[in-house]
Amino acid sequence: MEALLSLIVILPFLSATILGLSYLVDSKKNLSNTYYATIALTTPAIVTLLSFVLVFKMSTMPHDTPLYAHLFDWVKVGQLHIEMRFMLDRLSMIMIGFITFIGTLIHIYAVEYMQSDEGFGKFFAYFNFFLGSMLLLVVASNPIIMFIGWELVGLASYLLIGFYHKVSSNITAANKAFIVNRVGDFGFIVALGVLFIALEGQGFSFEAIEQGIGGLSHSTLSFVGALLFVGAMGKSAQIPLYVWLPDAMAGPTPVSALIHAATMVTAGVYMVARFGFLYNEIPHIGEFIAYIGAFSALIAALMASFERDIKKILAYSTMSQLGYMFIAVGLGAYGAGIFHLFTHAFFKALLFMGAGAVIIALHHEQDIFKMGNLRKVLPQTFIAMLIATLAITSIPPFAGFFSKEAIINHAFLSGHYTLWIIAMTTAFLTAYYMFRLIFVVFFAHSTKTYPHLIPLGKMIIYPLIVLAIGSATVGFLGIEHGFAHFVALPDRATPAPTHLLEYGLMGLNILVALGGIALAYRLFGTNPEPPKANIPIKALFIHKFYVDALYNRLFVDTLRSLSIFFDRVVDGAVIDGILGLLTGGYKDLGAKLASFQNGTVKTYATYVILSVSLMSLALIYLLEAQ
Amino acid sequence: MIWDLYLVMPLALVFIGALFLMLFSLVKQVELTNYNLVTVAFLSVSLIIELIIFQNVEHDYLFETIFAKMFIVDKLSTLFNILFLSGAILTLLINNNYFKSRDYYNGEFFALLLFSIFGMMMLAHTNELITAFISIELASITLYVLVGYNHHSPKSSEAMLKYIILGSLAGVFFILGVALVYGVVGSTYLGDIYSYLIHHQNSDISLLVVGMMFMMVTLLFKIGAAPFHSWVVDVYIGSPFPVTMFMATTLKIAIFSILLRLFLVDFAPIYPLILEIIKVVAIATLLLGSLLAIAQTQLKGMLAASSIVHVGYMLMALYAIGVGSSFAASAIIFYLISYFLSALGAFGILSFLASDEEKRHLSFDDFKGFAHERPYMAAAMTIFMLSLAGFPSTIGFLGKFYIFMSVVETGEILLAGLGILIAFISIYYYFKLIALMYFYPSPNPKKRFPFAISTLLIVGVALMIVWGGIGTGLIPFVAGADGLLTIASEALKTIGK
Repeated sequence: MEALLSLIVILPFLSATILGLSYLVDSKKNLSNTYYATIALTTPAIVTLLSFVLVFKMSTMPHDTPLYAHLFDWVKVGQLHIEMRFMLDRLSMIMIGFITFIGTLIHIYAVEYMQSDEGFGKFFAYFNFFLGSMLLLVVASNPIIMFIGWELVGLASYLLIGFYHKVSSNITAANKAFIVNRVGDFGFIVALGVLFIALEGQGFSFEAIEQGIGGLSHSTLSFVGALLFVGAMGKSAQIPLYVWLPDAMAGPTPVSALIHAATMVTAGVYMVARFGFLYNEIPHIGEFIAYIGAFSALIAALMASFERDIKKILAYSTMSQLGYMFIAVGLGAYGAGIFHLFTHAFFKALLFMGAGAVIIALHHEQDIFKMGNLRKVLPQTFIAMLIATLAITSIPPFAGFFSKEAIINHAFLSGHYTLWIIAMTTAFLTAYYMFRLIFVVFFAHSTKTYPHLIPLGKMIIYPLIVLAIGSATVGFLGIEHGFAHFVALPDRATPAPTHLLEYGLMGLNILVALGGIALAYRLFGTNPEPPKANIPIKALFIHKFYVDALYNRLFVDTLRSLSIFFDRVVDGAVIDGILGLLTGGYKDLGAKLASFQNGTVKTYATYVILSVSLMSLALIYLLEAQ
Repeated sequence: MIWDLYLVMPLALVFIGALFLMLFSLVKQVELTNYNLVTVAFLSVSLIIELIIFQNVEHDYLFETIFAKMFIVDKLSTLFNILFLSGAILTLLINNNYFKSRDYYNGEFFALLLFSIFGMMMLAHTNELITAFISIELASITLYVLVGYNHHSPKSSEAMLKYIILGSLAGVFFILGVALVYGVVGSTYLGDIYSYLIHHQNSDISLLVVGMMFMMVTLLFKIGAAPFHSWVVDVYIGSPFPVTMFMATTLKIAIFSILLRLFLVDFAPIYPLILEIIKVVAIATLLLGSLLAIAQTQLKGMLAASSIVHVGYMLMALYAIGVGSSFAASAIIFYLISYFLSALGAFGILSFLASDEEKRHLSFDDFKGFAHERPYMAAAMTIFMLSLAGFPSTIGFLGKFYIFMSVVETGEILLAGLGILIAFISIYYYFKLIALMYFYPSPNPKKRFPFAISTLLIVGVALMIVWGGIGTGLIPFVAGADGLLTIASEALKTIGK
């Protein structure tokens, strides 16, 4: 069992290495795509199999006996003892289960999506590398190893966003994602440092931390908790560190589906849930997290409502759904948060893959207002997208309904009515902008025809079907809180609702979603109009609240002028000047000294004798002083 | 008795190998490569036995009934022997091309080299001062011959003469020191000196101190510390590449083996009396070495001068031993290993290039655009330079780090600061080479990587340097840099029992 667990992490890295080396060595492009695809697909398939085996074996065990696999000691210096050790508990079981499963489907999809790309081998090397890093992140048994996984997925994301590296704006987007994430990672690593010092060497695995934090002061824990969340903000695209996510859509669509929707961006939520025992000590920080999540959800929904790029709409909706998850984990409903993370992975991956199918079919067209009537030409894609959209707008019995309802109800029942209102508003907007997408892309302009449509292959369609089935059904796992009980996270208790209240809330949720759909139909059902910035408030939404411009002005420009100042004045004039004087002098001295090395033995012997004499004199002096 | 035979095997093998090669060299038809391989074979068997001994040995005397306590075998001596042997093997294999490209090498060269190693190994085992002297001289005299081995070159002969004269002059002080020590203690066994010092704490020991200092003079001369460093640059430049490489790496380690043995245990009670002198010597070595290194135009000269600087760092740690650092001795051994690898690689590349192109003097200017001509060799050279400069992620960085830490541990912040400053200056002459290699266009077209023992070993050494610098087992289950440090401190524990 331990070996299986280790293999799950090691195999993807191994195959990434093989793929990468093959790609590097094969500079003449002799290797076929089939070669790369075989390796790239076999690994996730095996890993999925292994993880299913583990999940089935482990789910019968009691939840408080996780499986550990110790690989080796990584660092052992003083109190700093870091093991490369993996941990499989209920939480990481869920994570590896869906990461490997959805990851495999997206790998299959990507084989066809990327088939005509020159960097086919490179793409899959990165993709497998990402898979390994993500698995490392979720099975890490201590925060340091988790942080390594965290950084590696960031690297993979950077590499894949900038995959089409011949367009310079893609490189800018990749850099943006990387740099914004650095801000978050800084918070994460500082939090870990503070925690490590505060624990005074009681060990730094998750279970040791859980035992050790009882002795820490409330303020230390709050500090650590807040900073950890800064890391989550960066990775999971929450206010104010969300700006990179829409730009990250510059990467190939399978990347957006796997990394920027289903897996990597949820790492922040996972991390907060993993540290659930810590956040239970500091509920006020949890509330702060919930509010950040709620506002992110709302703002993202507003921006999505005015977006025209199909992938960016989905990106904003990802950010919005992540907001929901943070509401849940912030309020201590870790089970509900992870459940939404789980269902979201299915329907959001499906949405992206559907969008990718549309984009491919239409020769890389991404503006939804240039589409329409696709229902008739891409029927399978349409049905898949529709199921996913019903899931995300939480229409029963699709997956999103169960998970989102659990979150919204938790906000209401725990007495956070402001959060509840924001969440409901967002749910309305979600239904609106998602069906706006469906109507505009698949229904509107019912006479439009597409003479140059590219046909879609099986490897694109089949994963869509599998995910559609998943999106329609996985929600049932959450009935009667079954999922939350299974993951067995330290949820904070809420008062149990009466039946009447429960049905009332459920009905309200459905009504709100239907309202959003109706509005979308009224505005975009038949003859959609692209959004125009005719009134100031709309302009504000269309320009995304000018946040990018603000950040540019505030941080980028300031830093740039500061570095220009340092370059020209401080470094160029002051430091170089002083150094020039110093080194010049030292070099002259060296040249003078070398002239004493005149090469005659007589002189050298004299040096020796003189030195011995001097040393003897010094010795006499030293012995006298004794 | 059987155990003793087993312990003496490595020494005996090297000695027999030397005699064998001496006779073998009379046969004229043998190719040079075969001599080299035979030598390497003897050394390798010896190395393997030493590795086994290292696991099992604690504290033994070789043939105690015959030699009394003259030769000691402990983990420290074994560790040093392992270093000499691997140093010699690497030197021989890396220079394989070079030997073939010059007509003045023959079988006797290898015999002499083995004698020199035999001397060094004896030195590591020695527990008696006269034996120590004989071992040092045995190692040196053979080296005198090797330095002048290129009999076509007047420079080589001149270097040999300089080395003989100055070396003998310095050697005199050792025997004088031994005489003085004998006069006081009445014995030349190291253990006796120690017990004398312990039992006569109130009597006058000035003579013993003077004797110790004279012995120190010789040892300082042999490692090329200031103010006895004048010969280093001239001799290093004058001698053939393999010999320079051997002197810079292996001989230095040998002298440190006796330095550590003397000053960690036997002279430890009176060592503090001359600490001030050691401190001044360390500072002078650092300063003069780095000044000399800056002024060099030939790469061989730069490496020679910079080897003086590296000695300076180790003297800093030697000083720290006297002040009471618990850590300094292992730091020295670690530094020796790190310097040994880096210098070996750097000299190896020079000798490889010299074997390739007859006329090159290998000045800095010859390396302009080298990276475009031979990218892999340039990358390896960059790693060696980074390691010598003490750049993080190389073993050289950890070596310097441990040295500075041990000095800081004793509270000598200023001395550590000086060391760091000198390391900073050394960036100038090491990175100059990197800049020249990469930032200039190459006059010659790109060449293929030549697959040969020499080049493959050079790449291997470069990889070892990086591996040794990344800390602990990035490669799982293989001991990393801290493993080396553990081995060093383990070895140190066995002495002084």
